[in-house]
Amino acid sequence: MSYKFSFSYIEASLPALLQGLLMTLQVSVLSIAGAICVGIICASIRIFNVPVLSHVVRAYVHVIRTTPILTQLFFIFYGLPSLGLGLSLYWSAVLCLVLWGGAYNTENVRGGFIAINKGLNDAARALGLKRLQYLWAVALPLGLRISIPAMLNTSISVLKNSSYMQVIGLAELTYVAMERSAMDFRTLENFAAICVLYLMLVWGLSFVVRRVEAQLHKPFRDGR
Amino acid sequence: MDLIAKNMPLFLMGLERTFQLAIATLALSAILSVLMGIASIVRWRLVRWLVLAYVEFFRGVPLVVNVLFVFFAGPLLGISLGPFQAAIISFTLWGSANGAEIVRGGLNSVPKHQITSAMALGLKPWQIFCYIQAPQALLPILPPFTGLFTTLVQATALASMVGLTEFFRAGQIIVERETMRTGDNPAYLIYGFVLLTYMVICSALTMFTRRLELRIGQRRGKGVDRTRPQLGSSRRIEESV
Repeated sequence: MSYKFSFSYIEASLPALLQGLLMTLQVSVLSIAGAICVGIICASIRIFNVPVLSHVVRAYVHVIRTTPILTQLFFIFYGLPSLGLGLSLYWSAVLCLVLWGGAYNTENVRGGFIAINKGLNDAARALGLKRLQYLWAVALPLGLRISIPAMLNTSISVLKNSSYMQVIGLAELTYVAMERSAMDFRTLENFAAICVLYLMLVWGLSFVVRRVEAQLHKPFRDGR
Repeated sequence: MDLIAKNMPLFLMGLERTFQLAIATLALSAILSVLMGIASIVRWRLVRWLVLAYVEFFRGVPLVVNVLFVFFAGPLLGISLGPFQAAIISFTLWGSANGAEIVRGGLNSVPKHQITSAMALGLKPWQIFCYIQAPQALLPILPPFTGLFTTLVQATALASMVGLTEFFRAGQIIVERETMRTGDNPAYLIYGFVLLTYMVICSALTMFTRRLELRIGQRRGKGVDRTRPQLGSSRRIEESV
């Protein structure tokens, strides 16, 4: 079978693909921001051992981390409406990504909180700092610094996972490519184009992660 | 509950498919990643770059895109693949990219002085690899590989996108059938059950990984401190999909 790769087709379909990219970015940015908030809040709940909530957070993190995101998505999009919690396509997608990223960020942030010196907690207590004050003045500035690289990695995964949303029909990058392939049978061109777009995003972000990491390393460079 | 019990045969068939897929992929990925892990530490720069390009490419492209691409673009290139083969190929491409990173990390974790000592003793490069590097790298490689298997089990849900009736697709079929037949939507029940089953399987696998880590940590004379994140490598292995 002969198949001619057509660059002019890519050029022609670029506007549509960029439209999809915009949707991908929109959903991703919103979800990443949400996931970071969820991560910080849940990690704080766990680190302070808040009575009931602590267990709830533990269960939530466990469920998300041991199940495929595809099943989570279907549960949210198809399952929740019959429980009386119908969300639009867009918000189902965002909720799914926020929950997914939030679970991973909880572990990331918690790791950072645990890593900072235990003596600091005692010192803060001795100075009479309240829990929230300790969180705000000690744990967050120091702990977050440690967990930032891991959180950025999770954020990259959230971006990549936004491609799952094509299954429920959110018009993001992968969905647009699939739809155009179904119309014109130009699968190769469409997928080559979106591969390049995804790689540009992911590699670009990975580069940023490495730079940030190098910056964060600075104070620890000459033996702590 | 009745619905789940009634459809158990379909679920079990799907589960079998899921495991077939995961195990086949793991086997292929393991072979490929060992080869590539070794290739990524050889002297020739070109080989190293090729492996790096492969790893970075398949780790960078979302797995969804990967699966769809292999399945739908294959026929255009003259390779017609069934859903099962297409799924295995795309998961293997992805799994071996992650596996190569694990193997490379394991090989690099062998202390440098071991290699220089071996060189000083006059061992040949292949002897250094077979007797010094490989045996010591094996233990630290094992836990992340079981972790990769857990991730692969989760990843197999993606095969439902190309029409393979694995566990998740079985659930989908049941929901569709019930909705058509009775009119009311049992989605939350069925997907809840699917979610729970994946959770049980993957929790067991995760627990196994953790115990393996502990055992190996003891054998090497130092406990593995999971809680303390090293301010270090951002080259992380994908933990989930």
